[in-house]
Amino acid sequence: MTEKNAETDENENKLEELQEKLQEIKDQEGIIGYILRGTKTASIDLKDPKKIIDYAVLSSTAFDASTNMTEALQMDEPKKMVIESEETKLLAMNVNNHRLSIFMEKGVNHNKIYKNLK
Amino acid sequence: MNRDSYAIALNNAIAEINKAYPDIKNSFIFTKNAKVLTGDQETDQKTISKIQESFENLKEKAAAIGNLESFTITTKKGKLTLSSIKDMHLLLATGKKADKNHIYSITHVIIPTILKTMETLTPTQPQIKPPKELVVDTLTGFFERDSVQIDPEILLNLTKNKNDPDAQIKIETFDGNTTLCKVKEINDQKMKGRNMIRIPEKLCKTLEINKGDRVKVKPAP
Repeated sequence: MTEKNAETDENENKLEELQEKLQEIKDQEGIIGYILRGTKTASIDLKDPKKIIDYAVLSSTAFDASTNMTEALQMDEPKKMVIESEETKLLAMNVNNHRLSIFMEKGVNHNKIYKNLK
Repeated sequence: MNRDSYAIALNNAIAEINKAYPDIKNSFIFTKNAKVLTGDQETDQKTISKIQESFENLKEKAAAIGNLESFTITTKKGKLTLSSIKDMHLLLATGKKADKNHIYSITHVIIPTILKTMETLTPTQPQIKPPKELVVDTLTGFFERDSVQIDPEILLNLTKNKNDPDAQIKIETFDGNTTLCKVKEINDQKMKGRNMIRIPEKLCKTLEINKGDRVKVKPAP
């Protein structure tokens, strides 16, 4: 029981740490926002709230598509996913059993953000 | 260049790229309509279909951020890159040791250049000139019975070489009668520049036309 509590505390600490990092990232130039989804909770912070549903659907589809594609090619689990459009970029990754999607302008260095979060 | 030629050229290109970059494990190209143009021998159709299905779904949802240009997945074993190039999609799956600069060159330089080159090799359709309408004048005389005469500018437009003694044009009447005949420049200075065609009398009879009628002239096929 004590071990389980300790594990829960550690996970909560990691999540708090992650959310602090996300707050810092969110204020960086070119960052549009993020979606962090756990098994029970989700936090969303996007500059344009009208896009929440579309971005949430895209985020979820990116994770599913990555899993399907890597399974088909027997390439192990996806660690990092990047979708690029003409002007916008989405960095998606798994962190502490949470699905994290960060939306940003195309010019932002997503590798730097990834290294900061992994 | 038709789609088959396209596919052969792309297939050769992919085969050569795979030889040059052994870190490429899987590679194939498909169109926006999900038709696979070319691919490596290792990837079976079931795998391709599964990837295409996932990608099409993703592409649809990605419209929320604009037209999808590329999708990259990094795993412990390697990297999967899906790039949109013109109206096609290229998939490259590489091992973890693959040089990212090489991958970038393939997806952003080599394949787009090949596609662009193939587009420029597409034969251009010959321009179809509209028929020229001319007014008939009859030619009489023994030496004037096998050739029609037109202005030198029109002659130049209808034939490749206005001095070619065997140059021919096609004459079509408004009743639908047609004939191919030899053509040369109008030799009577007074008749030049009047948008006329001088046709030997015998040919006028064959075509059932008279002086003052209009006919259409085209280059000989």
